[in-house]
Amino acid sequence: MNSIRIQPDDFDLTHEYQQLRELSSTVGAVVTFVGLVRDFEADSTIDSLSLQHYPGMTETLLQEIVDQANKRWNLIGSSVVHRVGELLPTDQIVFVGVASQHRADAFEAAQFIMDYLKTRATFWKRVSQDGKQSWVESKDSDAHATARWDSNND
Amino acid sequence: MINLLFFGRLGDFAKDVPATIQASTPAEIRQRLSADYPALVKELSQPQVLISVNQLIVGWDQPLADGSDVAFLPPVTGG
Repeated sequence: MNSIRIQPDDFDLTHEYQQLRELSSTVGAVVTFVGLVRDFEADSTIDSLSLQHYPGMTETLLQEIVDQANKRWNLIGSSVVHRVGELLPTDQIVFVGVASQHRADAFEAAQFIMDYLKTRATFWKRVSQDGKQSWVESKDSDAHATARWDSNND
Repeated sequence: MINLLFFGRLGDFAKDVPATIQASTPAEIRQRLSADYPALVKELSQPQVLISVNQLIVGWDQPLADGSDVAFLPPVTGG
């Protein structure tokens, strides 16, 4: 199973974990990551966050990322959920879960998927601060995190 | 006609841009918009901006078929 969902609705971590856990009796490791909406951006508190994406292309790009992860590591299944629309500080925004026989595959693949999602998948964040809206700038640190995998090719 | 899409911050500069345009390459789209939308064209010319045609990343000189969706994509900030 490689599940990719983009949705305005919240997700339930326990449910997502159970889906991965129950994939097969050979699952020996499940790594899950949840990203939350911070209450600050550029050293200033935010009131809310709006997430835009490019429907169709986002799903395709995420599928390519997951396919790459499956080529690099021995995975049993994975799940990516990304929310879009209006979100508030502390809301859940993204879920990545990976199931494998052994922990190293799941740990590394989950980080790989998140790093690539941050720098490749067509999502854009806009924050509202003191009644003013502004688009979030991309971060060099995210690009560096992704580049690390390129220099680490098998 | 070519369908135009502007995402993220580019959308703020493209509020009055028509939804469709006649052009044979993305470079021609940029050139056609330059007289009426100089602020947008300046943003489109940033090296970090990617272009997609029918959801595949392409270069400025990609030939366009009638009815194509051309999207301009600023650096992504999801996750």
